[in-house]
Amino acid sequence: MPLCWAIKLGGIILVTRKDILEVYDLQKWFPVRSGILSLFGEKRFVKAVDKVSFSIEEGDSLCIVGESGCGKTTLARTILRLIEPTGGRVLFRGEDITKKNREEMQKLRLKMQIIFQNPFEVLDPRLPVRTLVGEALSIHNLTEDEDELEKRVLKVLEDVRLIPSDDFAQRYTHELSGGQLQRVCIARSLILKPDLIIADEPVSMLDASIRTEIMNLMEDLKNEYGLTYIFITHDLAQARYIGNHIIVMYLGRIAEMGPMEEVIQNPVHPYTTALVSNVPIPDPDEERYRIMLPGETPTPIDLPPGCRFQPRCQEYGEGCRPEEPELREVAPGHFVSCWR
Amino acid sequence: MDRLPILEVESLSTHYYLGGKPVRAVEDVSFTIDKQETLGVAGESGCGKTTTAYSIMRILPVNGKIIGGKVLLDGEDLTTKTEEQMRKLRWRSASIVFQYAMNAFNPVLRIVDQITEVMMEKFKVSEEEAEDIVANLFDEVGLEPSRMRDYPHEFSGGMLQRAIIAQALSCDPKLIIADEPVTALDVIVQNKILDLLRSLQKKYDLGVLFITHDLSVVAENCDSTAIMYAGNIVEKGSTSNVFKRSLHPYTYKLIGAFPRISGPKKRLEFIPGTPPNLLNPPPGCKFHPRCPFSEDICANQEPEYLEISPRHYAKCHFAGQLNLGG
Repeated sequence: MPLCWAIKLGGIILVTRKDILEVYDLQKWFPVRSGILSLFGEKRFVKAVDKVSFSIEEGDSLCIVGESGCGKTTLARTILRLIEPTGGRVLFRGEDITKKNREEMQKLRLKMQIIFQNPFEVLDPRLPVRTLVGEALSIHNLTEDEDELEKRVLKVLEDVRLIPSDDFAQRYTHELSGGQLQRVCIARSLILKPDLIIADEPVSMLDASIRTEIMNLMEDLKNEYGLTYIFITHDLAQARYIGNHIIVMYLGRIAEMGPMEEVIQNPVHPYTTALVSNVPIPDPDEERYRIMLPGETPTPIDLPPGCRFQPRCQEYGEGCRPEEPELREVAPGHFVSCWR
Repeated sequence: MDRLPILEVESLSTHYYLGGKPVRAVEDVSFTIDKQETLGVAGESGCGKTTTAYSIMRILPVNGKIIGGKVLLDGEDLTTKTEEQMRKLRWRSASIVFQYAMNAFNPVLRIVDQITEVMMEKFKVSEEEAEDIVANLFDEVGLEPSRMRDYPHEFSGGMLQRAIIAQALSCDPKLIIADEPVTALDVIVQNKILDLLRSLQKKYDLGVLFITHDLSVVAENCDSTAIMYAGNIVEKGSTSNVFKRSLHPYTYKLIGAFPRISGPKKRLEFIPGTPPNLLNPPPGCKFHPRCPFSEDICANQEPEYLEISPRHYAKCHFAGQLNLGG
């Protein structure tokens, strides 16, 4: 996709960077089991991720935002095949990973890491930081001996600014604060020298005064390690500060995507417009005009035919066709799935 | 304008006891809430905001103890009440809305029964009368009265939060304590619930104590704001004063740490270090190890909580003298 963005910028290929990840029509439908009658009737599905296509360039940071239940976490996990997709393709450095077998996938995952939301839950409280961070290296037999393992653990702890690293290496999780635990989680991923890190709400469990530090750290590490990030977040304001590109999801589909500032300042999809207008601002004097959507986000089981946002859309009317809208480009690199 | 305080908290201190040692969770906290006023209490986790709320309602865990101060609700001191007297007051004089709506209801009982149960106990009304009231309340909070016989799992998060608000209103309280009432909800639903809370507050003359970690929500919804740090209120005043003319460096830094969706993209602030362990708090000002303006006096002497300008209080040796750029 960046290729075509570049071509549109005057017919010359300006961007020579490669896409690290390309996702085509990715789909994850969970079957709904509802008693014995479902044996006869039509099978029903929760369409958690429904025909999602996008790509991300090497060195970029992409934010996937949306409300709870919009499929952003399922999308992230399906990309890594932590959940098996039910359709579509995922290309990592040009290779289709949906075709890989278990062993090949395990090797690939060294290059594609995930950081979870709650650092208080993912780390084993009975292991010291040294083991938690070095674990993956030992499991994959990536070190020559104990000395090298120790060296690499201490180095990566220094990189996530847990200094003095030999002191932190021997600590247990209960001796660390939330911010420090999240640093340990980042170190666990970094030690494998990944190319792509998917971070699922990496700072939402942390206090505001600590979030900025973790976000700055991740930005620094991106340059030091040559990383590409996909951030999953529900917080648009947070997204604005961590990403260059944004994907807004609604009920398993991409509603809008494009460069961050462009989408935040000039949202085109009525859903994005409403979402942006509802994000609270830490300023009591700023007058806001809020767009209130009627109803609540429905479950992605029995979706309306055509545009799935239509039942709540304030701008529904002439021009809205009965089919589902595809993504179309409204400005260079800025795509919207809306008929209007 | 006539100010009618509904809640007055005076030098409240609450400690938890861990192996005999006190954790000074809330120390010397004072504030008032007037009728129709919303006071936002904000701060990071562990700063004592929820303990303050639980102390007012006297629903602290067994190792928590109010060791000093007064809580006057409509002029009556709650700290001297017996447990039985307190039980009668809860829901009737003050009710609390908890953060996780999905956990606040019993999953195996119908929602209507869980609300009428309280009303029948407090008012000695019949079940039919109570159900009529619940139906009206459901209408009031924007829920279909026909759905009151549903079980909690049949409701979405936003609907449950509305049901909880209906329950909180069911006994006609004067004060509602809302402990992170919208934190688990998406922004659009969040704003709908906050709008609802505000309109009900006007209608029923309620005082609201609004507890949250999200300063953006405070800025948009509260009349006045108190910022807590390590068990103390470090700054309190009208929301506009606290946000625009911050007196305490912690307030200023914390506000700066919140990203904004509008306006130019500013550099976000952060505060190095972590909040202190309240088993062993630092001497002097509890914020001094993390404060960029800290001087000798800050490490040795605890600052007083003073009125720096009319109705704008701060607990800092240099309040009003620092150039915080606000």
